[in-house]
Amino acid sequence: MNTKTLFDAPGPRARRRHTLIEVLCIALLALGLYGAYEILEAHGEFSPAAWKPFTQPGLWILLGQGLLNNLRAAAVGMALSLIFGALLAVGLLSRKAPVRIACRIFTDVFASVPLLLLLYFTSLVLPTYGLKLSDFWFLVIALTLFSSAVVGDLLRSGIRAIPYGQTEAAEALGFSGAKTMQLVLLPQALRSMSPALVSQMVILFKGTALAYVLGGYIELLRSATVIGTYYSRSLLQAQIVAAVGFMLVNIALGLLATALASRQRRQSASEPAQEKLEASAALSTP
Amino acid sequence: MSFISGYIADFSSGVMITLELTVLGWGGALVLGTILTAMRVSPIRTLNAAAAAYVTVFRNIPLPVQMVLFVFGLPLLGIQYSLFASAAVVLVIYTAPFISETLRSGLNTISTGELEALRALGFGPRPAMQHLILPQAFGTVIQPLGNVLITMIKNTSVAALVGVADLTFATNKAAVDEAQPFLIFGGAAISYLVIGLLVGRLVSTLDRKAAFSR
Repeated sequence: MNTKTLFDAPGPRARRRHTLIEVLCIALLALGLYGAYEILEAHGEFSPAAWKPFTQPGLWILLGQGLLNNLRAAAVGMALSLIFGALLAVGLLSRKAPVRIACRIFTDVFASVPLLLLLYFTSLVLPTYGLKLSDFWFLVIALTLFSSAVVGDLLRSGIRAIPYGQTEAAEALGFSGAKTMQLVLLPQALRSMSPALVSQMVILFKGTALAYVLGGYIELLRSATVIGTYYSRSLLQAQIVAAVGFMLVNIALGLLATALASRQRRQSASEPAQEKLEASAALSTP
Repeated sequence: MSFISGYIADFSSGVMITLELTVLGWGGALVLGTILTAMRVSPIRTLNAAAAAYVTVFRNIPLPVQMVLFVFGLPLLGIQYSLFASAAVVLVIYTAPFISETLRSGLNTISTGELEALRALGFGPRPAMQHLILPQAFGTVIQPLGNVLITMIKNTSVAALVGVADLTFATNKAAVDEAQPFLIFGGAAISYLVIGLLVGRLVSTLDRKAAFSR
């Protein structure tokens, strides 16, 4: 997203002033970075001893497996929430009021409850009902409960945006209600909502780090902590490596969402500006 | 219902801590986010690049990771605050980039003609920003900012990860101790739902009030 030029092109005097401020800012930034470097150096965080464990391949394998576990949970959660989200979207658009209201309550409740609370809920309540699942499934179920509510609402608004004439045309061609949904409405809604769905994937991926609290599922944050318990000298280093790993995956997913959004904008250049604002806003929800 | 009475105090202090974290986090994030946006649109390239780097880094590192890094990692460097203060600071650091991006999308909706009219009328950069650009930008993004706020209310629960006794933490504690977790989780879910609905209503009202500027 580019920012509009808000001001006039600077004249000679303003340019000189800008150069001065620029130099000052660089100096200030350098000073800040140097201060941070000093603090890290004073605690020996750059010393070879602190980074020595990272020369072992086994440690990188542990971290890599952690990251893969995060991705696996997010992918399974996303796949499940696409299925349940599609069902919810159908329910939200149902002609029967009780179905509609029940689906509305489900989406409102699970979209507004924190993921960590859902994770505590699945890991504490499900075992009391005899469901002895692994921590992976507790995480996936929590992610799915939350995410299918969000995806359901997204798909509902995607379906609502399709002109009603298409439903009528499908009826005229003899499609049943279910076939209309499956062949005409849902594919279009999925495509028009794909940037928002990728953003939802980012949210899910970030949420998988909460499995840290369960302890039984070795995701990236947990594996960094495990490294910290064995090599107490390298806890900070391991945490920073984990943070960078999360960051890189999220940047890649963010680029994908932006690319999808801009491709759609090119395909439908005639659409009103309001929707563009909404699409870009969807990308910037924490 | 008698077993609940023992947890009422825990619960209400949990709700209070959640609300305090929300207010502190939101206030700080709004300030930091506005500063970041100003840096993004400034003609000084260093500021621009620094703000862009900040947004990219802190938006893409998950909140739990930042929380754990801040609470368990930074004390190794001798940087240590109370748990509550750490949680509030991390919420500010994590939420500010989202506010900045939202505000920036608001700035982009201001029409070029209007900016040209401002210059023709002799508005300098600062008065233009203060009197015309920022109020309009805030006006258009009330609803999206409200969404960021509602998500942040949910995000305050991540503080429970490091042991801040907020609503989620109190719920978990009660549920571990008691044999009726369903009721306890239901109560917590309703609390979050009510807070979210109230804030959502407030945001819609504000949005309608600000609609004149569009």
